[in-house]
Amino acid sequence: NNSYQLSSVPLQLLFYVNGIYYIFYFLATLAMIVYKSQVFSYPDDFLGPDLALLFIMAILEVLRLYLGSKGNLTEEEAPLGLSLVITVGSAILSVYFLVWQTYVLKADVIINVVLLFTYGLESVLKVVAIAAFVS
Amino acid sequence: VAKLCVCDLLVAQCDVNCCCDPDCSAADFSLFTTCSVPIVTGDSRLCSQKAAIYSLDVEANPPERIFKLIDQVNPSVFCIHSTNYKQAVSLSSPEMPTSENFDQLLQQFGSTSFSAEPDSWNMDTDAQNPSDANETYRYEYGVPIQTVDAFLRLPSPVVSSWCSDVNPAGFLVNQATKCIRSVSVEKCGNIQAVSMLFYINSSILAVNITVQSIVVQSLNGMRTLLNGSDDLRLPMILDELCINIVLGVSYHITYTDEGEIIEAAASFVLGAINKEALSIQQSFEISFTQVNTKPVPLSGNPGYVVGLPIRAGFRPQGYPFPVKILFVPLSTNEYGQLTILQSTSNQDCLAAQEARTPILFGYNMISGCKLRITAAMKCQPLTQTILDLLKGQSFPEYVASFGNSQAQDVLDWVPITHLHTSEQSDNERIYKTFQSSCQIPISLEIEVKWTKYGSLVNPQARIVNVTAMITTTTLKQLPSGRERTIPITSSVVFTDISSPAEPGYKAWPTINAKLPFDFFFPFV
Repeated sequence: NNSYQLSSVPLQLLFYVNGIYYIFYFLATLAMIVYKSQVFSYPDDFLGPDLALLFIMAILEVLRLYLGSKGNLTEEEAPLGLSLVITVGSAILSVYFLVWQTYVLKADVIINVVLLFTYGLESVLKVVAIAAFVS
Repeated sequence: VAKLCVCDLLVAQCDVNCCCDPDCSAADFSLFTTCSVPIVTGDSRLCSQKAAIYSLDVEANPPERIFKLIDQVNPSVFCIHSTNYKQAVSLSSPEMPTSENFDQLLQQFGSTSFSAEPDSWNMDTDAQNPSDANETYRYEYGVPIQTVDAFLRLPSPVVSSWCSDVNPAGFLVNQATKCIRSVSVEKCGNIQAVSMLFYINSSILAVNITVQSIVVQSLNGMRTLLNGSDDLRLPMILDELCINIVLGVSYHITYTDEGEIIEAAASFVLGAINKEALSIQQSFEISFTQVNTKPVPLSGNPGYVVGLPIRAGFRPQGYPFPVKILFVPLSTNEYGQLTILQSTSNQDCLAAQEARTPILFGYNMISGCKLRITAAMKCQPLTQTILDLLKGQSFPEYVASFGNSQAQDVLDWVPITHLHTSEQSDNERIYKTFQSSCQIPISLEIEVKWTKYGSLVNPQARIVNVTAMITTTTLKQLPSGRERTIPITSSVVFTDISSPAEPGYKAWPTINAKLPFDFFFPFV
């Protein structure tokens, strides 16, 4: 009975994959910051903001995935819309880690690009889902 | 990167085997055997950087240098793709000090250590500032004496005998130098180093150099002291001679206990040169005196130097406790030295009563004279006369144990022990005491015991004990009209009582390995 189900299955799949990938992303970025602080000259003025933003991004991600998943499963557009807004914030943070971080290693570039690609795909699917719920 | 060259050490010349040297031509490159610097790159941790590769193509005839500029890629996944932290990959050039940022730069870099994070070092610079503010100009031994523009100069010969004006005078370093300067009558007024102004002009900080005395030396060498010598005499030409040129300067600097210079005076010897003179010899001297003390020439610093006189003195009466005892250094003779009778040519004691010579450290001396005794002489005045002869007018009570002992340091002075012996044997003495006899002293023997003090490589001589032994003999009553001549001797002997030095060795290191208590647990 697909016609009665408005929830988007690809979106839910993407949320699940995103969750797992984000755990990997968080641990990898944290490990690389620790590595950079040992190998390179990383004064406290620069280390502080980088770590703070990483933790903020983790919190936002948890919130975003929860709201998005709930909105999709309960077929409500409000949490899904909120999740979309938070996605924009997460994307900006990801761009920070891609471009404006103190040391951007090649590995940083790779994982951030993958994350941004995931966000982009998610945003498109969310918009489609919201359109489906509203109408 | 193409412009960097580590092996380019000679300016405007081609360095051997340096392929990146811009001063080398193609002909030079053909003579190289290898390239000492094959590659110049930026930071290798970057993902991609420029690299300049230099190599020699030995196949070609003549060999030529190949220069390639390529992009080198770091294959690691952890290479730095970009960085927003400027100091990470390049050395920052320091700020140029201007009048605006000078104070901030001084605060950041002015102390003995600084780090890249200036805030954490603020505490240290504050702690250093108060001590700097309170410190007046305190000198230590050997530090050059500062004047307004540079240092107080004592011209001295460097390498050759010609005068060099850049020798600074060190604090508390008494120096005397002689050097040659080239002069001519034509350039009389132009040579700065022969005019008085050159030596008085620079004022030691806060203290002006005053002129103490001027001695004028004529062409034939005769010196006269000028009265009223406050005026400055500059070189000038008079009757084809150039007069008032400086032949010698003697600086006397007075300092305090804390190491500040409070007075400076200079004494000059001025002379004249004629047309034939091409060079003159100048002599310079500087000496330091502590304020409120009379300068006493040291006999060593700190240990006695062989050949310098022994210093001695008295302890003034009325000072029973050594709170602040001032030894009067003006004792046996005006320089505070221990003296001994000096033999004269006619060997007559009574004629030579005033002739005394100072005792020099390390030199055993013996001297004597003959005393003519007539029957008319009474015993007691005769004894006193001979004692005066042997010991001198004021025989000191204390001798300085070091060559530079100060009068205020009580423990540095050694008391002189007096001993009396008699010349006869015991039997005769017992027999003679029953007769009223006259004992007259005939010899004074001073024994100075000294030891080596201090380090093994530079031992200093230190006087430990001084004994003055007077030997007396019995004077038999002379029949009237007869006279007798007896020899009087005085001697000084120096004995080295230093114990042999034993160098100490460090203990051999031991290996201290013990097994833990329960190493063999199940079995023990």
